[in-house]
Amino acid sequence: MEFIYYFGDVFTPLSFMLLLGGTIGGLILGATPGLSPTMAVALLIPFTFQLEAVQGLILLGAAYTSTVAGGAVSAILLKIPGAPANIATTLDGHAMAKKGQGARALQLSFLSSAVGGVLGVLLLIFLTPLLATWALAFGPSHLFWLAILGVTVIGTLDSASVVKGLLSGCIGLWLATIGFDDVMGAQRFIFHPSLGGGINIIAALIGLFAIPQVLTMFAKGRHDNGAEVIEVQRHSVFAAMRELTTRVRALSIGTTIGAVIGLIPGVGGQIAGLVAYDQTKKFSSEKEKFGTGHSEGVIAAEAANNAMVGPSLVPLLTLSIPGSPTAAVLLGGLLIHGIFPGSDLFDNHPDVAWTFINSMLIGQILMCVFGLYVAGLAARVAQVPQSVMAAIVLALSVFGAYSVQGSMGDVYIMACLGIGMYFLERFGFSAAPLVLGLILGPIAESNFVQGGMIADATVGRASYFLTGGLNMLLISVVLASIAYSAWMELRHRRYTTKEEAYA
Amino acid sequence: MNRSQHVVGSGLVFAVGILVTWISFTQQPAQAFLFPRLIATVFVVLAGWTFGKAVMGLSKVGNGVSAAMFLNMLPGLIVMVVYLFWGAGALGFYTATALAFFVLLSIYDPAPHDEPRTWVSRAVITAGFVAVMYGLFSELLNVYTPKEILF
Amino acid sequence: MKRLIAGAALALLGLTGPIQADEYPDRPIMMMVSYGAGGATDFQARIVTMTAANEDALGAPIAIINKPGAGGRVGWNWFATQADPDGYTLAVYNAPHFIAQAIKGGVSYDTDSFEPIANWGADPAVFVVGADSPFNSMADAMAYAKENPGKLTVSGAGLFVGHHIAALQIDKASGTKMAYIPTAGGGAAAMKAVIAGEVMAGINNLSDAYRAQQAGNVKILAVADLERHAFLPDVPTMREEGLDVDASSVNFRGVMVPKGTPPEVIDKLSETVTQMFASEEVAQKMSAGGAPIHVMNREEVARMWAERQQTLKELLAGL
Repeated sequence: MEFIYYFGDVFTPLSFMLLLGGTIGGLILGATPGLSPTMAVALLIPFTFQLEAVQGLILLGAAYTSTVAGGAVSAILLKIPGAPANIATTLDGHAMAKKGQGARALQLSFLSSAVGGVLGVLLLIFLTPLLATWALAFGPSHLFWLAILGVTVIGTLDSASVVKGLLSGCIGLWLATIGFDDVMGAQRFIFHPSLGGGINIIAALIGLFAIPQVLTMFAKGRHDNGAEVIEVQRHSVFAAMRELTTRVRALSIGTTIGAVIGLIPGVGGQIAGLVAYDQTKKFSSEKEKFGTGHSEGVIAAEAANNAMVGPSLVPLLTLSIPGSPTAAVLLGGLLIHGIFPGSDLFDNHPDVAWTFINSMLIGQILMCVFGLYVAGLAARVAQVPQSVMAAIVLALSVFGAYSVQGSMGDVYIMACLGIGMYFLERFGFSAAPLVLGLILGPIAESNFVQGGMIADATVGRASYFLTGGLNMLLISVVLASIAYSAWMELRHRRYTTKEEAYA
Repeated sequence: MNRSQHVVGSGLVFAVGILVTWISFTQQPAQAFLFPRLIATVFVVLAGWTFGKAVMGLSKVGNGVSAAMFLNMLPGLIVMVVYLFWGAGALGFYTATALAFFVLLSIYDPAPHDEPRTWVSRAVITAGFVAVMYGLFSELLNVYTPKEILF
Repeated sequence: MKRLIAGAALALLGLTGPIQADEYPDRPIMMMVSYGAGGATDFQARIVTMTAANEDALGAPIAIINKPGAGGRVGWNWFATQADPDGYTLAVYNAPHFIAQAIKGGVSYDTDSFEPIANWGADPAVFVVGADSPFNSMADAMAYAKENPGKLTVSGAGLFVGHHIAALQIDKASGTKMAYIPTAGGGAAAMKAVIAGEVMAGINNLSDAYRAQQAGNVKILAVADLERHAFLPDVPTMREEGLDVDASSVNFRGVMVPKGTPPEVIDKLSETVTQMFASEEVAQKMSAGGAPIHVMNREEVARMWAERQQTLKELLAGL
């Protein structure tokens, strides 16, 4: 209960101002297509040089929390996820926006983000020592099976055709192998010098989602009336809260999966939303509604990606190991003030540690309040004429892709992937499985190679990858996931052939 | 029309699949290409399957690109390609963005082209947007962009 | 309007004309780090360049840009082939890494592709084991390696980086063979593998290991340097432990420019940047963050590169 003692520190004028500024700034940066949370936090680091340790961390923590949630805005309204964490949000969120329910989708997404986020931070407060052992339990073999579990999701994710979904995933997995391979240093598929660094996930994300949207807007041509503008129905916040209480299953699955997967160093954040979305779909009684603008999809995805925020800091705060790029940047923010994460942090600088954690707790609530306000403004965004919106998104894509690594190569890659993806989408391929392949490829490969090397030196590959409780558990989840998808596919096929017979 | 488009689309994917498979199985060191080989095999099989279905006219998903859509899109696509592959790098980000933005608005903005007032509003929107981008990226976030002409 | 056009034309001329040494730098400078944001190299690069905008330093801010991938090869390849030699594009070198990679081949750079400016840090490789490991000294670990050839798993940040070189030197000095496991996620992932017990031991940066030891997660058995380190006065060097390992694997970090940068610019940079690194403010922030500082000027760095080139060629010849 030590943390309550330090709550007052969050509310000193300067700290609270920074918290407020970080939250609002984070929401805006997160909602800007092309800026990821890691980048937002990295860009804020120079500001923290001038601040005290506590204040710097409050700013960074608030920005981290709200950029993750802010990504939902562009995901829902424009079908452009701000970060890998928001990919799953586009699937149902954008479909809802198209039906005129953009405000409702945004309200639900911010409310479920807040619920997931607060629970995630509470886990961080109360269960940190326990969670730390769990974070360490995942070795190369487990991460490999976890990536394979992700691969099993590919075929059924946002695609009308399973074969084309799998093929999209394969294209993503292949794209991920481009560049120098990380372990051996061999050059693979480097057709052009821009590809030397491989395909940056953020640049790819911008290209695959934003550019097809721009081209779709172009394809509608020059309208003489504004009839095409999507209308946004007003939706009361209280109705959204009431709806959330009826969607407890989606909320709890999302939060649990987000918190559990978010813990695992090096994997968590990027796939938490997608895995939560997939699992919620499998447990839902209204499976067929997913992908058509079903609120459970948005709730699960957003609860998961904010529930991940708290636990993702556990390896950093207890073991001094940054589990994600964003955590690595936060580590820099700590070190610059001479504070070492680990026991030193909690024993010698409890004011810093607890004020930081408390500020994330309050940040989640502030984020929700401002987010709901933003949701009210969604109508305005939707009223921006298509021509202006297309030009804005295009320009932001260029700046976003460039500023990830300061490289024109990334802009070219973004453009090629984007234009290619537009045409692929017209033939039934989809971007979400492709990006999932792109994310999972390196995780699966590097852990397989690394685990293989450890296994060769010790117990042998078969027993390294196939024995042990956690391996067995993950393998059985993988098998169950495959069996379930196959069963659903067979059932679905019989269903559609019957339908075709009628027609 | 639609069927032949599907054949071309999936044919291209299949061609990429064959290229990738060929490269993965011929390049050295074999150890580094183990994973690409695995992926390429599945890739080429699935792409072949899709291509076969398209040739037989069995592709159901996806509507292809109609001629009207393509014609609508073409000017924008050309501006986009010039902007992304040449303009941004050669002219500097802000100059190229201002030009591309203004040209795109001129092409796609439904407001009439023969009234001076609409041109003023296009110019004002462009200037405002570029100013916001400059403020956000250059001043606030200190992102270093190629600055070839003016800024 | 006319004045505006004339002004614009003047500005254009000013930007495209040749660089005058006394005017340099008149705009922000970019510095490329070939490792990810938040890593030790990135973190230190940000600290040592924070005073660049001061009037008594360069008078222009240095912006850090990360181009991570393949143990640094991606960034340095880009720097050697695509960076403009105009003094506005700098890069951070990690000394044994890029030299070893150049010797192994498959990259488009070597020591002649770059001009050193100044060095700010030296981070020796250390041998770490988990806090509950049965190994309490290098002798314990080496005895295990001798009894079980190829079975002592040791994690490190990648192939042909300082950690790998230290592992090769330990192998050579002890006449054993350890199983070196490169991790894809850099030093942090290699450290996690040690703490989680996925591997029996690890070779990591002294600065990161020092932090992990403070947190009570690892034991540091030896330092791969010629002298004991001020942060860890109780930890012996490899030589004290009877292993003939020199300082070849020490990770030197500093600033360089591409070959072909005008000599006036190099002179100006090497003078001011060396002073900048030696400043009190930088030293205080660096030591607070547990980052060992070691300032060297341009000539000293050039000598160090040449020495490394020599020793690494011999060490890597047999591989």
